[in-house]
Amino acid sequence: MRLKDKVAVVTGGAQGIGQAVALGMGREGAKVVVADLQAEKAQSVANELQALGAEASAVGVNVANESSVKRMAESTFDRFGRIDILVNVAGIYFPKASVVDLSEEDWDRTIDINVGSNFFCCREFVPSMRAQKSGRIISLASGIGHYGMRQFSHYAASKAAVMGFVKALAREVGPDGITVNAICPGSANTSMPRQHRSEEEVMARLRSTPLPRVLEPEDIAGPILFLASDAAAYITGQSYDINCGSYMF
Amino acid sequence: MALITGGGGGIGGAAAARMAAAGIAVVIADYDGAAAEEVKKQIVATGGKADALALDVTASREVKAVVTDVEKRFGRIDILANIAGGSAYTKRIEEFTWAQWQEVVNANLKGTFLMCREVAPIMQRQKSGRIINTASNYGVTGSALRTPYAAAKAGIITFTKSLALELAPDNVLANTVAPGPTDTPRVMEKESAEARRQRWWPNIPLGRTAVPADLAEMYYFLTTPESAAITGQTFHVNGGLVMP
Repeated sequence: MRLKDKVAVVTGGAQGIGQAVALGMGREGAKVVVADLQAEKAQSVANELQALGAEASAVGVNVANESSVKRMAESTFDRFGRIDILVNVAGIYFPKASVVDLSEEDWDRTIDINVGSNFFCCREFVPSMRAQKSGRIISLASGIGHYGMRQFSHYAASKAAVMGFVKALAREVGPDGITVNAICPGSANTSMPRQHRSEEEVMARLRSTPLPRVLEPEDIAGPILFLASDAAAYITGQSYDINCGSYMF
Repeated sequence: MALITGGGGGIGGAAAARMAAAGIAVVIADYDGAAAEEVKKQIVATGGKADALALDVTASREVKAVVTDVEKRFGRIDILANIAGGSAYTKRIEEFTWAQWQEVVNANLKGTFLMCREVAPIMQRQKSGRIINTASNYGVTGSALRTPYAAAKAGIITFTKSLALELAPDNVLANTVAPGPTDTPRVMEKESAEARRQRWWPNIPLGRTAVPADLAEMYYFLTTPESAAITGQTFHVNGGLVMP
């Protein structure tokens, strides 16, 4: 078990990639805080983790809200006393709109949630990691942050911003033994692409990658577990693309 | 099983040892046959399965003979890690002879091509395989006084992407590892630990140069089921020195 007794917080941990990460962390021996806007679903993932024999708790959180994130951090420290691994998965994708039709509200909401969440969560947990001179932060960006996508300018900008944030934070906290990296998934078999595509469209897209496989949440979770482990102690400031070969940055 | 070129060197030896520790049988190929033999001894002494052989990766006949022999002995090749390479020169472009330029480009880029050309068809027949090539952060940033080396390493990155696209339909993955400054025996012969500390450490967010084991973990990760959806990518392992 590569993460024995480490304490991990996974935002967006109730479903999709976040859920796969939370379960993977638990299987590797970590104590997991499943944090999600959907508190009930988070609880059921925490229950699943406990059934696997892992220590786990669930917390409802709005990652774009400063005081809500503070409460999440307090809950983590109350329950487990420390933080070793922070995985920022929570984020939004919709709505689909061309730049000229995109409302200010939708722009703000996407940037606030996808980028602001990284700021709030890291700001809460970095001091504790700094004090213990170790920590791992892994943020979900997206291949779309590298290559762009029409009608998703807000999402592309937010995910590119996550990569920039990760690099800057990596430079800030590197001397304290904390690594900060981003993972950029391609289109994965989750509910997210189904928000604006039919099932046939989603599956056709997922099957159109160079590798003859469909990108599953577990395919994204694996590299995140690697980055969280001791094996990745010398990796920081990187944005690794995981996409079955659909894009090579 | 894994075939590892440059397996007698610092990074190659560490990668071989890491894979062997995970139960992978390794064939350590190196221009310096004695160095390969030494790594083999250490791995075998700790209970790993290893073979050693001398190989000049720029000699196409040698490459073909070795790959044919390895496939015959093991019945398959699951992993090819091309780690052989490097550069003996740091000097201005006008001081490079054509022969020296070719020497550097061939040791890095041509060697990688020749190895992949022989091994890829075997992996395609198996419908599985992992190819891991080795670039350098210089392949992205460039480096004064290392024009052929930086060019060759940039070439390896794009060669690997192209190869990944060619081999993907057969479930053969190809990725690149890009090390930053790493304390290998070869570089430590030329530069003292103190000189390296002064030159590099202030510029590296994680505050130190790499040790070969740091890189070995990435090579090993790229052989595991956890990296099954990754191909054509470049993995920089450099303590934050370069964040492309």
